[in-house]
Amino acid sequence: MTGYKRVSGDAVEYEVFARKARVDPLHLVGSVVAPDDDLAMAYARATYDEERWCEMAIVRKDNVISLWQPGEP
Amino acid sequence: MSLSDLVLSIADNKQMLGLRYAEWATRAPSLEADIAAAAMGLDDLGHSRVLYGCLEPLGADPRAPDRESDPAKLRNLAYFDEPWTEWSQFVAANAILDTAFTVMIESCVSGSVEVLQHRLRKMLLEERYHFLHGRSWLRSGIDDAPLQLAWREAIEWFGPPDGETASLHGEGKLAMGPAELRGRLEEQLEMKAPRVEIQWKAWDPLRRRGTPGAIDAHTFGMLRGLEEKKYAPPTAAKQAAS
Repeated sequence: MTGYKRVSGDAVEYEVFARKARVDPLHLVGSVVAPDDDLAMAYARATYDEERWCEMAIVRKDNVISLWQPGEP
Repeated sequence: MSLSDLVLSIADNKQMLGLRYAEWATRAPSLEADIAAAAMGLDDLGHSRVLYGCLEPLGADPRAPDRESDPAKLRNLAYFDEPWTEWSQFVAANAILDTAFTVMIESCVSGSVEVLQHRLRKMLLEERYHFLHGRSWLRSGIDDAPLQLAWREAIEWFGPPDGETASLHGEGKLAMGPAELRGRLEEQLEMKAPRVEIQWKAWDPLRRRGTPGAIDAHTFGMLRGLEEKKYAPPTAAKQAAS
């Protein structure tokens, strides 16, 4: 559905990044929805901890500055 | 009561906490909270296994055979006797009781007993995320009754001011006694414990609780593997009986 967002109420969406080795770049592994950073960390760890990541980080999706997106000229 | 008795109490409580968390893996308020409940349940069940494994190296395993037949021999808090019916009960257990167990584990890791120093350290890393989860949900506001009950049971579980926990602290085996444990819990949660009057004369020093009771029959049967037998094919049941 176009424009569908999982976010409702006070919750915001966070992107989850991780890497398996120091030589790897961080890459996007998924997202979580939470009302604050603490809960987002707990959710990210619970949801994406099946791999042996050496680093995991989250960022609020609305803090990501988009230059262009699919479908835009 | 010995250090082994205390470790068994942590193990039994973490086992029950893990099971009660897991019961909410499809009932929490969001998909993320469902996954967190499942993950924290697995963590705590794993922690209980590690803690049971510490009993032998500690020298005296206090587990008697009657644990197999009498649920009242398990050393879990009354808070875990019955499945939780409200999300507030989950949050109060997550924020207050899970953190109380973590504070006690910190006390073991910083104490003088080598096997506990080494084997329990990793738990503290995993527990950081349980704490963040519990504190965040707690701040969003929950019913007062489970919160008060969880605080009371945490303070009871730390033990009386002049009991064995205090003695173990005095001997250096634990880095914190009851007063320090309570202070650390308050510091972690950034809130003061409510005033509670504890009748220490009625307190059971092995089960570390002031009220009788035991876990529900279904959960006890599941722990013993009896629930699994209900679903075994008839031939397997016949073989098991012979």
